[in-house]
This record gives sequence, structure tokens and C-alpha cells, in this order.
Amino acid sequence: MSALIIRRFIQMIFLLIGISFIVFISMHLAPGDPASIIGGPTATKADILGIRQRLGLDQPILVQYWNYLVGLLHGDFGVSFQTQRSVAAELFTRLPNTINLAIASVIVSVIIGIPAGIISALKQNSWLDVFSTTLSLGGISIPNFWLGAMLILVFAVHFQWLPVGGLDAPFWTLQGFKEMILPAITLGTGSAAMIARMGRSSMLEIIHSDFVRTARAKGVKERVVIWVHCLRNAMIPVITVIGLNFGFLLGGTIITEQVFAINGIGRLMIESIGSRDFPMVQGAVLLVAAIFVFVNLVVDIVYALIDPRINYD
Amino acid sequence: MKRIGFSILAFLVLVGIVLTGCSSSGASGGSASSGGSGSSGKAQEMTFAQTSKVVGLSPTMTNDSVSQNVLNQIYETLFTRDPETMEIKPNLAKSYETPDDKTWVIHLNKGIKFSDGTPLNAEAVKYTFDKLRDPKTGAPRASLLSAVDSITTQDDLTVVIKTKKPYGPMLAALSHGNSAIISPTADKKQDLMKKPVGSGPFMLKEWVPGDHVTLVKNPDYWKGPAKLDKVTFKVVPDVNTEISMLQTGQVDFIENVPSEQWDRVQNLKGIKTTKKAGTAVSYLGFNLRREPMNNLEFRKAISYAIDRDAYVKQLNGLGTKSNSIIGPKIFGYDKSAESLGYDYDPEKAKQIIKENGWDGKQIDLLVANTAAYMQMGQIVQDQLKKVGINAKIRTMEWGTFLDVSKQDKFDMTFLGWSNSTADGSELLYPNLGGDNIGASNVVAFNNKKFNTLVDESRYTVDQDVRKEKLKKANELAIKQAPWVVMDHGVVTGAYKDDIEGIDILPTGDWFLYNVSRK
Repeated sequence: MSALIIRRFIQMIFLLIGISFIVFISMHLAPGDPASIIGGPTATKADILGIRQRLGLDQPILVQYWNYLVGLLHGDFGVSFQTQRSVAAELFTRLPNTINLAIASVIVSVIIGIPAGIISALKQNSWLDVFSTTLSLGGISIPNFWLGAMLILVFAVHFQWLPVGGLDAPFWTLQGFKEMILPAITLGTGSAAMIARMGRSSMLEIIHSDFVRTARAKGVKERVVIWVHCLRNAMIPVITVIGLNFGFLLGGTIITEQVFAINGIGRLMIESIGSRDFPMVQGAVLLVAAIFVFVNLVVDIVYALIDPRINYD
Repeated sequence: MKRIGFSILAFLVLVGIVLTGCSSSGASGGSASSGGSGSSGKAQEMTFAQTSKVVGLSPTMTNDSVSQNVLNQIYETLFTRDPETMEIKPNLAKSYETPDDKTWVIHLNKGIKFSDGTPLNAEAVKYTFDKLRDPKTGAPRASLLSAVDSITTQDDLTVVIKTKKPYGPMLAALSHGNSAIISPTADKKQDLMKKPVGSGPFMLKEWVPGDHVTLVKNPDYWKGPAKLDKVTFKVVPDVNTEISMLQTGQVDFIENVPSEQWDRVQNLKGIKTTKKAGTAVSYLGFNLRREPMNNLEFRKAISYAIDRDAYVKQLNGLGTKSNSIIGPKIFGYDKSAESLGYDYDPEKAKQIIKENGWDGKQIDLLVANTAAYMQMGQIVQDQLKKVGINAKIRTMEWGTFLDVSKQDKFDMTFLGWSNSTADGSELLYPNLGGDNIGASNVVAFNNKKFNTLVDESRYTVDQDVRKEKLKKANELAIKQAPWVVMDHGVVTGAYKDDIEGIDILPTGDWFLYNVSRK
């Protein structure tokens, strides 16, 4: 296991350097000039030239990348073109909001998804199953921005039970908990649906497998068969989905953050792409990529814990 | 055993990351929640929501309206505009004189201090302006002072600005938010983008980048302390959410209400709205480098084809129709311009198009993908179709659009100009002046007579002469029609009905000094 972790960490470094190169080059090749965006439509030619020089954009692109990479290897993510603040500082102000939101929505998706999957597998082809599968299909199909807007209209504007947006209070307070509910549901619904579908098919497969039949034949109680024998085995693919989803949620919080006015990485990334804030986009992509890779590693480790047959050495 | 040990370690690392994340989120968010508590009506606090983030808080280094909203409360300019008449009046300056047409002698008010205690004197003014125009600074609006030759201090309270040529819009430039005066001591010590120090009625208390900026009143403000104790500027990127927050009391004040939301906002209980003619203009521009856009007859035909009354009507009153390029709220406007131009007349349009064989002509219409421009694009496309012109809309993300629109890469496009100086020269010169082709003059209009008139309006200090020159330049441009003026903007705001004193200037600027809650 330790060899695996070390190997994966070394791979991760090369992977991230590769990502940094691709992001850097593609940002610079994309149309749109950061200087003319900072200057805005009202800037004159001379204004824009001045800004370009200040940002170092007048140097050859490979020189710019080399300088960036050297900085990166020293742990320096650079300085935002727009706000002139350290990219690392900007990222770490927003990361907690995004991680909290991603975790909360994973919790929502697990709370909804796993029971729904199990129930529809156990009561296959019953009305409960049809209901749950239909709901899952809906959950995957409904776009986040629409669901978010509807939840706001009903629970925040009409009933006024929950705040409209913002994550202002710490999450362990009642206010913070309330602020998290709507965004977490909005973001979590899609993955809940995926978990339910995956849970259902995986559970069905296990229920009909030989060892379950043997267990039943031995006279093991149905409850034990389901909860001990089936569930543990059925959870392996579900955990993959949860782990991957967590990665996607980190990068995919953009729309939810936008709708609920949450100051997170997704929103930062969208703003920075819009303003061609190259160092900020590069930093954010690298951070999300690093977390994604890390989460995958954790999923692999959890696998080994659940299923002793899996051995990475 | 070893395997489990590592697994546990990996878990601990993950948990550690999450926990540190959570704790710092608490620290950053904890103090923000108190902002919206003004619903009791007693607390002199207010939360304002805007759809983008504050970029920085140095007037020298920024050029965006969102940061400007905050800067307007922290810093002050030498001159300012009267909210009603738009006339320029002294602010930090007490008076000024022009001994010759290239010299501006500005006398400052006595006893003004920045919030860090530094005196606001001639030295501070010189420092600010020298920094703004120094090419090494790379200031986005260095052009405001491009006409300046030298700045000297005569005594502690007198600044002398010499220009290379007589420069007409000098006072307009000095009342622009980007030429606000900064504290030299603070600027040398710290980065004003993060830690601003000005002489205005409010000071920075807290800033969580991307989320909110909180200001508190400056107790030593030279005109006496402001009525509000605390103001929070919160970022709410989605307009629907913004309006919902206004409705539920999470925010108290919003601006720039989109026209399709105006009815909803006006019908909210406990909310007051305000609207006023603004200085912004939106236009359909012809790329004059290309055929047939360089043909006046073609431009006339397009002008005749577009029903701008119908366009303005669907703006729900948030736009006014005018034939004049220089809008009614801008220095240099003359009512007589309204009778010029080419008003809606589809029959005439069809006739010109037929005569010149442009029937079925395909046009590349470049449209930035913001809601307002997309709307314009669809309406214009539809109206041009009726007269036989086939406009193909090509939408583009804003950042790319800014780049592409500056090059010869489109036939027609939509753009706007906010005109924060409210001076006609500052509209005609950047947008239609021959010097600015390849930059802000996206249509590449280059007319000798026009250039001379605009130059004369800029390089004259006699305001009556300037007005006359601008009037003539405006008339010439209207007749030449490099633009079809779509509408002149309207500034809007919506706020809780217990707030008093909010006054939005035609430029979109507002100042919270006199605002209070009853």
C-alpha cells in the first residue's frame, strides 16, 4: 500500500506539470486579451500597451511559461492579473466553501441515493421501484440552475424558511446549516440519482449471485443476508461513483455557486476565464486537478478496505 | 497491519484538509452575516448587492464600475458633478483659475485629511496624478491625464497643472472616479488595491475577496461623519437571486435592474425604485473598412430599416430613443440633433436596397453574448430581414468579443459606451476619432472634418466654444451614420423603503454620504 501511495504521488507531480502546460498554452492561445479586458472598452491603445507591459505579456510565451513553472516549483502560484493578489491566497479563501458544499452534497446524495437504490432493487418492478427510477431519471435530467431557482422561489422567497443565498455563517451554526441546505440539495440531486441507479443495478446483481443463494439456503435471516452479505459487496461500484462524483462536484459547483451567491472555486474559475486572468485560471485548474487525483487515491484505498481481495502490491 | 496504517493516515489527511477548510471558512464568513440586519429600521447599516466582484480598491489601478461603487465611498475627486444638472462643481478643490489656456491653477480646501491622518495637500494631488500618468504604473485610465505636461505645487494648497495644448475636458477628467486623490504615505507603505486609504466618508473594514467588502464610516470626515455606520457590498452573481434577496431582506439595495425584471421589482412590497436618464449609449456600428458598410447609402438603408421606437418600447422604459450620438445627459448635447438622422422608414430602406442591388445581401453581425446585446441582435436581425438584408448573428463571449471587435473581423456589431465623464469629447474622441482605430473606435470612422472639430472641442478651454464644436461634430456624425443609436441608457436602482437619500447619477455613480435609514 505504501508503495502505491508513493508511486501515485510521483505520478501526480508529472500529471500536474502536464496539466499546467496544457492550461497555460490553451489560455494564451485562446482569443481575448487580458489587458484589453482590464482596460475595458474605454481604454485607449496606449492604456492597453501599458497594461500588457505591466503584466509581462509582451514576453515570448515559452519564456512566460518557464517563469511560471519555476515559480510553481517553488510553491508560488503567481499573482492575479485582475486583483493583483496572490493566487494561492485567493484560492484558499474560496476552497473551504467549495469543499463544504461538495461534502454536504455528497451527504445529501448518499442519504437519498443509497436507500433509493436498495429499495428499488429489493422491490424490483414494484411501484416503489418505478417511482424511484423515474425520480432518478428526473434527478439526472433537471439542470442545476433551474432546480436552484425553483428551490429559492419556494423555500426562501415564498415560505421564507431558508436564506436565499450566501454562505456567511460558519457551517456548524444553525444559520450556517440553513444556508447549506438548498445548495446541497441542488448540487446533490444529480449524483443522488446516479448513486441510486448504480446502487440498484449492483444490488440486483449481488442478490441473484450464488453466495447469496447459499446464505439463504443455510437459513440465514433475510435481514442479515441483505445488510451483511449483499450491501457490502454491492457498495464497491457505488463507492467509485461517490468518489468520482466528489471530484466532479468540486469542479462542477460552478452553477450552484453562481445561483446561490457562494464564493467558491467554481465561481472564481468562471470569473477568471471571463477576465482572462491566466494565473488564476491555471491555479484553480491545478488545485481542482490535484484534489481530484487525491480523491481517486483515497477511493482506491477504501476499495482495499472493503474488499480484501483487492491488493495493489 | 501496515496497509491499514497507511489507509488511516490517508483518511486523516483528508479529514485534516476538510477541517482546516471549515475553520477558515468560519473565520472569513463569521463577521459577514451581520450586514443584513438593518431590517429593524434602527441600525444605520446597509447591504448592497452587485453581480460582479470588486477587483481592487485603488482608483489609479482599476477601471470597472463594480470597484468604482466602493471607491466612490472611500476616495474623493477634486471636482464632482451635480446629480441634477450634471454641472461640474469643486469638491476637494475650493476654486480654480486658468491664467492662460494651458494652465490650470487649482486651490484646495483647507484642513482635509486622509483617513490615515496624512494631509490632503498639493503634494498629495501631484503625487496621485504623477502616478496615474506614469507609463511605468500601467494605469488602465492613464489616458485621462494624457494631455498633461507637468504638475507643480505652488504652495501647500495650490496645484498648477500645465497641459501640452489647451485641454477642454480637463475638469471632466478631474471629476472622473479614476482620478480620485490617494494618500501618498499609504501608497508608499502598502498596496492600495488591498488596503485603500482615501479622504472620503467611509473606510475599509473587511474584505473577503470575491464575497463582500465592508466599509465603516470615517469619523473624522472633513464634511462631518456619514449617517450610515456600516455598508456591505456583497457579490450576488445571479440577478434573479439578487432580486430574491432584496425581496427577503438579505440585501437592501441593488442597481442596474434588467428591463425584463423591472416590472417584478417595481411590484415588490416594501421596495422603492428609482430611474433616471443616464449617460450610456448603445449602438449598432458599421465596420467602415468593408463594402458596402463604407457606403453612406447602405448605412442609411439600415437606419431606415430599424424601428428603434419598438426596440426602446420593449426595454420597459429602461432606455430612451434619440437620434443624437451625444446623449441628452452629456455635455455637448443639443436638442436640434433629434431632427437629424434617418428615422424608421422601411419603404425608403427597401427602395435604397433595391436600387443598389443589395437585396438578399448577407451581413456578418457580431454580437457579444450578454443578454442585452443578444436581444438587440435578434430584434435587428428580424427587422433587417423585412427589408431584404440577411444578417447572420455570430455570438461571442465578452473577452473574445472585446478583442475581435477591435479588428477588421466583422460587418456590423453592437457596443455601448458608459461615458463616466459625461463629456461629449470623451465620447466622440475615443469612439469615432481617427486616432483610436484599432482600439475603442471599433467602426474605424475616420473623417477629417470630424476629427478637426473633435480636436477643437478638446483643445479649447472656453466651454461655449467647446459646446458649439461638439454640436457640429455630433451633427456631422449623425449624418454620416457610422452608428445607428439603439438607445440612451437609463440608470436604475431598487432599495428598501426605509432608506433615504439614494441618488444615482446619470453616469451610474452614487454616493452614500447622505444616505440613512429611518
